[in-house]
Formats: sequence, C-alpha cells, structure tokens
Amino acid sequence: MNALGVGLPPDASIDAGRLDVVLHDALFAVSAIFLGCLAVLLVALVRHGRRHTAAAESGATAGKMLRSAGVALGLLGIVDGALFVNALRHPTGALADFAEADKLPGVVRIELNAHQWAWDARYAGADGVFGTADDVTSLNRIVVPEGAPVLVELAATDVIHSFFVPALRLKRDAVPGRIGTVSFTATTTGTFEIACAQLCGVNHYKMRGELEVVSPSEYATWLARGSDLATRGYDPDDKSAHWAWPWMAAR
Amino acid sequence: MIAGSFFSRYIVSTDHKTVGKQYLWAGLVFLALGGFLAMLLRWQLAFPGARVPLVGGLLFPESGGALSPDVYAKVFTTHGLVMIFFAITPVLIGAFGNFVVPLQIGARDMAFPRLNAASFWILVASQLLALASFLAPLGTASAGWTSYPPLSTNVGTPGWGQSVMVLALLVNGFSTVLGGVNLITTVIRLRAPGMGWLRLPATTWGMFLTSILNVTFVPVLGSAALLLLLDRHLGTQFFIAGASARAGGGDPIAYQHLFWIFGHPEVYILILPAWGVVTDIVSFFSRKPAFAYPLTVGAMIAVTALSGLVYGHHMFVAGLGPMLGQAFMALTLVISIPSAVIALNWLQTIWRGSVRLDSPMLYALGVIIVFGMGGLTGVLLGDLSLDVYLHDTMFVVGHFHLIMASATFLASFAAIHFWFPKLFARRLDENLARAHFSSSLVLLILVFGGQMLAGYSGQPRRLFDPYQYEFLKPLLPLNRWTSYAAFALATAQLLFVWNVVRAFWRGARETDPNPWRVGTLEWTCAPTPVPVENFAEVPQVQRGPHAFDAALQASLGRDFLGQAELVSEAKPQSVGVK
Repeated sequence: MNALGVGLPPDASIDAGRLDVVLHDALFAVSAIFLGCLAVLLVALVRHGRRHTAAAESGATAGKMLRSAGVALGLLGIVDGALFVNALRHPTGALADFAEADKLPGVVRIELNAHQWAWDARYAGADGVFGTADDVTSLNRIVVPEGAPVLVELAATDVIHSFFVPALRLKRDAVPGRIGTVSFTATTTGTFEIACAQLCGVNHYKMRGELEVVSPSEYATWLARGSDLATRGYDPDDKSAHWAWPWMAAR
Repeated sequence: MIAGSFFSRYIVSTDHKTVGKQYLWAGLVFLALGGFLAMLLRWQLAFPGARVPLVGGLLFPESGGALSPDVYAKVFTTHGLVMIFFAITPVLIGAFGNFVVPLQIGARDMAFPRLNAASFWILVASQLLALASFLAPLGTASAGWTSYPPLSTNVGTPGWGQSVMVLALLVNGFSTVLGGVNLITTVIRLRAPGMGWLRLPATTWGMFLTSILNVTFVPVLGSAALLLLLDRHLGTQFFIAGASARAGGGDPIAYQHLFWIFGHPEVYILILPAWGVVTDIVSFFSRKPAFAYPLTVGAMIAVTALSGLVYGHHMFVAGLGPMLGQAFMALTLVISIPSAVIALNWLQTIWRGSVRLDSPMLYALGVIIVFGMGGLTGVLLGDLSLDVYLHDTMFVVGHFHLIMASATFLASFAAIHFWFPKLFARRLDENLARAHFSSSLVLLILVFGGQMLAGYSGQPRRLFDPYQYEFLKPLLPLNRWTSYAAFALATAQLLFVWNVVRAFWRGARETDPNPWRVGTLEWTCAPTPVPVENFAEVPQVQRGPHAFDAALQASLGRDFLGQAELVSEAKPQSVGVK
C-alpha cells in the first residue's frame, strides 16, 4: 500500500499466496521483455536516425525469418510454457477437482444464492442435509473456519452475478439455471469483503458481502447456535425461505 | 440534379475514395461522442455523486446534474458500443480499407461500387438507430457492451432503448459484412497485373484478413442479437433461466459462447489493420525493406486463424470445465508468439535504418509501445489461475484499452497523417501533429496504466461507486489521477481538430504526388488529388511494396523504386505523376 493506494488486497487463503507469486513472476517477465525491446527501439532511434545510411538489406531471407521466429519463440515460449505448466501444477480453487474436494474430512459446505442485490448463504446444519429445518441461513455474510476446506455451490435467481473475494483471489460466476462450484481454504482470521464482479443491474455496486474467517471452535459455536435458532423459528409454510437445492454429492 | 453538384459528388457517389472519406467523418463524429461518454465515466470515478461540471445540469436535471447509477450503466454501455462499432471500425476499416486498398492494389474502384456506397449508408442507419435509443422513455441500453442475458432481456432491462440498440448492432453487422465481402472480392479479383500476394502492401494484407474475420464472425454476433431480440419481444427463452424461466427456459451461457466467438476475433478485427499500417509505415520511414516480410504476413495469417480458437478465455470464470479452460488457455498463450514475431520484425526493420520521425512514423512508434504493453499484459490474463483474480477487474479494462483503444487510436492517426496529403491534397502541420502525438501517447499510457493498477489492487469494473467497498477506498487518489489524465487526453484532441480545420482553412496545398518518397502504387502511379478511376492506365507491378536501397542514391538521387517502375526506365527524379 502506498500514497496512491495501489497494492494487492490482503492474502487470506492457501491459493492467494501461490497466485501472488505467479502474478509477480509473470509481471516481472513481461516487464523485462517490454523494457528490453523498448531499449532496442530507443537505441535504434538514437543511432539510426536520419543521418545514418540505411543498411542495404533484403528484408526477407530465410535466415532473418528463422531468427525472428526463434527469438519470439524463445521469449514468449518460455513465459507461456511456465504459466501453462504452473497452472496445471497449482490448480487454484476454481480449478480444483470438486468431487475429490467433497470427500475431504472436515469440509464445510455452503450453498450461496445470488440475486439482485444480495448474497443468500445456507449451511446444512447439524443433520448435514440441505433443505431441512435446521439449515442455517445468513444474508450477505459467510462464516467459515480457519484452515478447513470450504466448498461453495453457487446459484442465481434473476441475472448473472459473480462471487468475488479479493482476499482469496477467487471469482466465479453465479448463473441462473446452473449450479457453479468453487472451493478455498482460508488461512487468516478476520473479515474480508465479497464483491459482485458481474454487472447485475442498477445496484450492482452495492452488492457487497462479508466473509468472516473464525477459529474452528468459534465456527462450531456459531453454527450450533444458528442451527438451534433456525429449528425453533422454522415455518413449514414459508415457501420463499425454502430455496435450498440438493447438494451435488447427494444428487 | 446538376452533374458535379455537392449532392452527386459527396452524397450518392460510389467512388471508393469518397465513400472512404464518408466513413472517416462518420467515424470521427462518433469517436468524439464515445470520448465524451468516457469523460463522464472518469468524472464519476474521480468525484462520485458530484455534479458534472458544464453539462451536468443540462443532461441530468432529474439527479441534480450528477450521474445516477442507472445513467452510469447507460454511459459505460454506450461508450463501448459507440467506440467499437460506430467509431473505430468505420475509421480504421471503413475509411482506410476503402480509400487505400483499391489504390494499393492498382484497381480502379472496389469490386462492387454501389454495394460499397450502400454499406456506408447502412452504417449511417445503424448510427441513427443507436442515437434514437437515447430517446426511449427508459433510456438507452444499459446491460454493458457485452449485453449478457438475462440482464439484457426484459428481466433486467425493460424498455425499447435496449432493443433499438441491439437492432442497431444487427444493422451495423449488415454494413460490416457487406463491406467485408466487397473488400475480399476486390483484393482477390482486382489486383493489377504482377501484384502477387507477397507484393501486397501490409496495409492491404491487414484489411484483407480483417475482412475475412468480419465476414466469418460478425454473422455470429448477428445471430446472438437476433435471438436476444426474439427473447425480448416474441416471448422466446433462448437465454432466460432462473426464476423468470417458464418450462425449463434456456441458457444464458449459450449467449456468451455466441458473443465471444465473435467478440474475441473482434479484437483482431480492430488490430490487424493497425498492424498492417504500422508494418508499412515503419519500413517507409526507416528507409529499409520490411524485415522478414513474408514472416510478418504469415504471422498475421496465423493470428487470423487462431483468433477464432481462443474466445473461451473470456469465460474462464463462467463455469467452463477445467479441461476446456486449459485448452483455451494453451491456445490463448500460443497466439502471443505470432504477435511477438510481428513486433520483433518492426524493431528489426527500424534497426540499422535511416529513421525519419515524421508524424506518421511517430504515431506508428506509439502503436508499437502501447501494443507492447497491452499485448504483454494479455499474457497474464491468458493464464487461467491469474484470470480468476483479474477477470472483470479494471486490469482487464486497462489491458484491452491499450490494444483496442490506444493502439487502434494511434494507428488511425498514423493512417490519417500518412494518407492525408493523398486524401485531401492538403498538408497537416507537423508541429501540431508532434504535440498531439506526444501528449496523446503519454496520457493514453497514464490513463490505461492507472486502470491496470486499480485492477491489480482488485477494483472490479462497471462500479458506479467503487468506494462502497472498504478495500477500494484507498484507491480514490489513483482513480482521480487517472481521471485527470483522461481529461487532459480529451483536451489534447483539440490539437488534432485544430490541425484539420487549419489544413482546410489555410493549409498549404499538397501538389507533390509522393511527398513521403515511397514506392506503393497510391503514391507512385496516381496523381494528387486522385481522379475517379484512379489510374490513367492500370500499373504493371514489378516488385514488392518496400523496395528501399540506399545504393540507388548514387544513380537515381533517391533510395526507393516504385512498385510499377521499370528499372531500365527509372529516372533520376522522384517517381509519381505530376
């Protein structure tokens, strides 16, 4: 952070740190290529100006073409290749194998329904099944335990929204008619902002939510209390509150 | 109607040069409109909720002269649409494709002159439709230039403003496709004798390849626009899902596939003509043959072919399967290699040349710099895992503006300054051009560099008031400085306006048919001003477009040969019809 306010948001997950390294390495590599080329250009403009006699060259020999293609392949082939291999080796949350992640011990499952202009979150509660009386719901606020894998299933009611948590370096569209999936493991306790990253209408800019990362024991307390309150306040006739869908593993 | 009247000369003319000038003026008017809309956006990001100075009270009386969230959405939506479809495309492809290509290939006109004039008037119809959408009771389109459904359907954007804007895109597509068919036919069928494919100037290559992309992919956008209109007015549900869907509904993602199958090639549609113009100008003003020219042409063809295979990177966070994402990532990264070949060839053309920093060359050098910045930052966005963070942030906005706005803008001005003497038989002032170029280049980099820094810090695009978020509040100073640079950039354009006005009002008449001393046919075989049917006789082409050799100086007193010049008849003065 500096006078202009420029800087990456805080880093609160396993993947965020990994991604920052890739981002900075890639920025360094492309900046080096750019500055190298710019230096060549400036030297040429200074040394090979109007007073310099143009070299007598046929522009199109096989050697010249090979050289140009080789340099391009060398410079960008390395950057491209490194990025590609890295993306395969370190899949971020959006890339992770969701079915595998679903089997991890201690996994936290959340259903998140986006609509104009809020985030509705739902936890399965003590019985582990979505759509029952003990489901915990929460508006514009997701609570997750530190260090546990979190799986989010995303849906949208009206238009496309996008679940963006800058501190997790994570983003995934919530599309009407589909269920999207995203996973992360938070490593830092604290409150982090959730933004909508896909234009979703007039109040798009106000579709702000909060991700609260707490210790596992605080999380257990919060969930148990929420589940208890939900069970006591459950109204079987309030159809608008029953928006859960069957969890993917159960479908 | 009197022959030679204003009406017959400038309105119903089918002469490719007149049609080209019509495209130029129509495009420049909308460039000014799109620029004005951008200033409103930058005002809001710098001074959220504050009354817009000068025009606020007039334009937004109901919100006390400030932008409302609804108006802000309309402004960024129409800014994008106006710039891409109604400004840059007409200027770069419409004006210079029409004016330059027949002259460069030694043709007397386009293959279908009447169709050509019709294409222009269809463009005007689409521009009028776009303007008409502003009159709708609920206002014009506001679902973003990408118009993603369901937001762009009646679910999110009721009223006829959005519909008329989508219709304008559909009509605009007819103009583009008809123009493209015409240009492709012209280049294939009407090349002068001896004008082999590798003797085509790079500008013509760029326009030819871009027309192939237009003819291939604009109809896909047309189909998306048509289906969207059906969803809006005839009760179909191609793209509607969720709570508004009946009986299962359709799929919003299907629209995204259609849109980006067109949308990504669109980037290359805009940049290929720029690459062509820069390749020619860099050779002309370095007084050296274009370095590895067949490779440059091959790389442009490779990019054209690859451009239809990379669009999935726009949908990395929309829910593509991991395998599909990785495939699109690989193809996206691969396209950086032919692009780098083209840029490296420019550098090697300049290297060991005899560089003249006349205004067209300055603008071309500017294109190289901003294209380098925009292209290289694109590598980051092509990476699947980095895109998950950067997608839909201001980083993307800054990145694509360096290419689609800055590089195409500077290339348009390179073309305007280079062909102005041939277009209008007038000379632009070099000092004004230098001032316009240097201020524009610095300010473009500051504006779009500033946007990339905001995106790196996590600022999502299209936010009416980013400072609703705690983590974005510290970015206000950055956004303000970016806006100041944008206002200065807009002001600097007055230098160009004044230069043009001055040229027509009291500028020197250009009598030299070849003031830049280059060998392509428009300069060496056609007089200035260029008459109807262009050439007294069709040129017999002898060689490629960049025949420079300093050794000729001794015998001919010049360092180049005309494309249609016979060496045995070469005379010591400059070629070109007096």
